[in-house]
Amino acid sequence: MKSKFLAFLGSAMLTAGVAQAGGFQANLQGQKQIGMGHTGTGLALDHSSIFFNPGALAHLRQNGIQLGVSALSAKIAYREPSPGFSEAMTDNPISTPFQVYASFGKEESPLRYGIGVYTPYGSSVNWGRNWQGRFGLNELTLKTIFIQPTISYRISDKLGFGAGFVYAIGNVNLQRSIPLQNANYFESGVELDGATSGFGYNLGVYFKPSEKLSFGLTYRSKVEMEIEGGDVTFSLPNSPVVTSQFQATKFDAKLPLPANITLGIGFKPTEALTIAVDVQRVQWSAYKSLRFDYNAPVRGENFTEGSRNYEDVFIYRVGAQYQLSDILTLRAGAYYDKSPVQAGYLTPETPDADSRGVSAGLTLALSEKVDLDASFLYINKKERTDAANLSGGVAGTFKSVAYIPGVGINYKF
Amino acid sequence: MKNIFYRLGAAALLSSAFLFTGCDPEFEEDVVVSQGPLDLSKYVAVGNSLTAGYQDNGLYLEGQILSYPNILANQFSYVGGGAFPQPLFTQAQANGSGYLRLGGFTSTGAPILAPVTTNLAVRTDVAPLPGGPRLTKHAGAIQNWGVPGISVLASATPLYGGVNPYFERLLPDNEVGQVSYIQKVVATQPTFFSVWLGNNDVLAYATSGGVVDPANPFGIITPTAQFNAIYTQLVAGLSRNKAAKGIVATIPDVRSIPFFTTVGPVFKAGLPSAVTAVVALTKSGAARKVIPRDDIRVGTTGNTLFTLTSTPYLTLIGQPTGRFWRDQARAKFPNDAAAMNQEIRRYLQNYQLDTTKAFGVSAENPLPSALILDADEQADVQAATTAYNATIRAQAQANDLALFDVFEFFNNIQSGLTVNGVFHSPAFITGNLFSLDGVHLTPRGNAIVANEMIRAINAKYGSTIPTIDVTQFRAVLFP
Repeated sequence: MKSKFLAFLGSAMLTAGVAQAGGFQANLQGQKQIGMGHTGTGLALDHSSIFFNPGALAHLRQNGIQLGVSALSAKIAYREPSPGFSEAMTDNPISTPFQVYASFGKEESPLRYGIGVYTPYGSSVNWGRNWQGRFGLNELTLKTIFIQPTISYRISDKLGFGAGFVYAIGNVNLQRSIPLQNANYFESGVELDGATSGFGYNLGVYFKPSEKLSFGLTYRSKVEMEIEGGDVTFSLPNSPVVTSQFQATKFDAKLPLPANITLGIGFKPTEALTIAVDVQRVQWSAYKSLRFDYNAPVRGENFTEGSRNYEDVFIYRVGAQYQLSDILTLRAGAYYDKSPVQAGYLTPETPDADSRGVSAGLTLALSEKVDLDASFLYINKKERTDAANLSGGVAGTFKSVAYIPGVGINYKF
Repeated sequence: MKNIFYRLGAAALLSSAFLFTGCDPEFEEDVVVSQGPLDLSKYVAVGNSLTAGYQDNGLYLEGQILSYPNILANQFSYVGGGAFPQPLFTQAQANGSGYLRLGGFTSTGAPILAPVTTNLAVRTDVAPLPGGPRLTKHAGAIQNWGVPGISVLASATPLYGGVNPYFERLLPDNEVGQVSYIQKVVATQPTFFSVWLGNNDVLAYATSGGVVDPANPFGIITPTAQFNAIYTQLVAGLSRNKAAKGIVATIPDVRSIPFFTTVGPVFKAGLPSAVTAVVALTKSGAARKVIPRDDIRVGTTGNTLFTLTSTPYLTLIGQPTGRFWRDQARAKFPNDAAAMNQEIRRYLQNYQLDTTKAFGVSAENPLPSALILDADEQADVQAATTAYNATIRAQAQANDLALFDVFEFFNNIQSGLTVNGVFHSPAFITGNLFSLDGVHLTPRGNAIVANEMIRAINAKYGSTIPTIDVTQFRAVLFP
């Protein structure tokens, strides 16, 4: 089992695209939940409760393992401020955020253990080396993987608590052009590449006062990802006068992955129908600036810093599932995600805007032990024009859409 | 019939585009461009070196292609603009007059400028003109009439074609020395024109440090009344009683260009503290002027400017030397040692020089006037610039033309201008705006100027001509 696990991890591209949610958060942590607008904090649907609400995990009666992966195809279009009309479009690789959850415990025991491996933050955006904003960014890849051992305790059929410890690992790669050309017109650039890790935790409580109603409340802590000794690579004209200006070879940086508080409500008007509503608060205000500290001066400065000043936001989600038969369950959902990026702070790494997501999904129960999930999420961000005068970003108009099909397999034992 | 094919083709293209791009993000509004009331079918550019695309102390093919009028014409082509033939050098003679490129830096970080001398369009088979060697003639239509070196004063005289090789190359032989620049450009009958002329009416005086060569009738500061009369005649001729629209541009404050601002601060910083003042000639005569150390302009303090060309001589301060005068004489008589020596003797006598004395600090061996634009000379330049700009603004008003106030634009960006995340300033080499001669713009500078002009045209006429992405244009190339 373990080796399959690792093989799966190894084969997946561990990135998540930029267009799926506010900032660089990727809300793609369970195939069933994606189909319902990523609701699920107030439900005990499956082993992905490890992420959605550790307090609900103990209300699952079966051991099981779940694997899921999404194929995220996001595109962002850019148009320069009027009366200019140059346009650019990202050529992002399809990224594959994934989730693996396994839980076990004795059937009648109130205690369950679980482990989750998932990718809640990520960004992959490639503007290329010719677009107008290339001195802000060519390409950014942010990959994070959260590994979360979890314990959940069922106090009664109505109440459960859970907690998880998060160990996060990740990688950041950022490339941008430098406005210096050599005699052959070759344009200079810099690449920053570093590995990072951090710690955090998840807490959840699940309360089900009746067969028709359930509530969930979770807190996912901030995770501070620190990069120490990342590599700085310049490509520059050879002249010593130029190269002496760019001496750095290593950099340090910190990237806060913000805390989340989510309140979820589940409602079952009939045996077949489940309706879920989630309200999520993302404490983006932890992300104040993007600062790189260098081991030697770059143009006379030992650091570069761009203001971000993200603000806390709410995400509103609604979803429903309807069990058509023993074999087939259908789902649909939608959400509205306010952008954490304030006016004046738009950047080409996350040219963010208020986004609207609609989703659909289904589950096919192949046997008592195996079922398959499928989901599809379409995200459309509002067109946004920004002067980017406070972040050192790129002024202009941005528009993003994303198509995210996903599949999952559940095995219960 | 043609129309139907066009529609069918467009429909097929659009539907296939939808198949491929149906999943791409789309903007709510399509780009709208419009010429407004303008007829851009025949755009003619009138001006000097800046208009010709001159940069790095020379006119060459790359600069011509990236001239601001050609960038403007390219943007006009989105809104009904017609062809814009320029008097381009051929590929084989792409380096035109020759120019300077950045070869490297000295150990102290000073730029080493190397002349490019291959693939020139310079003709050695004929006698040079007073303004320099002749260049390969251009035959065919011309709509960029930028002539390096031309002033408003020179534009009115039919003799000028026999003086300036850049003008001569644009004229058929029978018009050389017979037809004035104004006659030529007015005869083109443009539907739209730009005029950025007048810099040389004051710049020639300024860059020669206030020295006027008696042999050069265009080296003076053009008298205001004359400037006014000629400029008025030029604009009236082009506008044809407002039948043609256009844009005119003012003259920048020459004191802000790197040609004058680069050397002074370096010189002052390197001057031994014992040297409390330098002595220099002023204007064209033998009069001396004492310049206290603190009067050397650094940033916004001090009032004396040093030219970019002064660099090799400033290192000789305090030494007994006559090198500047020798270099002058050699440049005048490169192949005649006797004439050269006679010229040197003339300098010594005219300026009452004793080159055995300490250069630049003794009254007997002062800094030549040509290396310095002192406060008195600047006052002359300033007064003329102000008067010329008043004329230019008045003519814009009178002829219902758009105005690009270059004077104001460059004053406003003294502390820098950030475009697309790139810092621009009037600093030499590192400022991205000015080319290696410290006077003329880089291709990026030209693109920024073209965009400013487009904004002024749009504001004046209610058109929506698109601006261009300036990041696609180079600044100084580094070795």
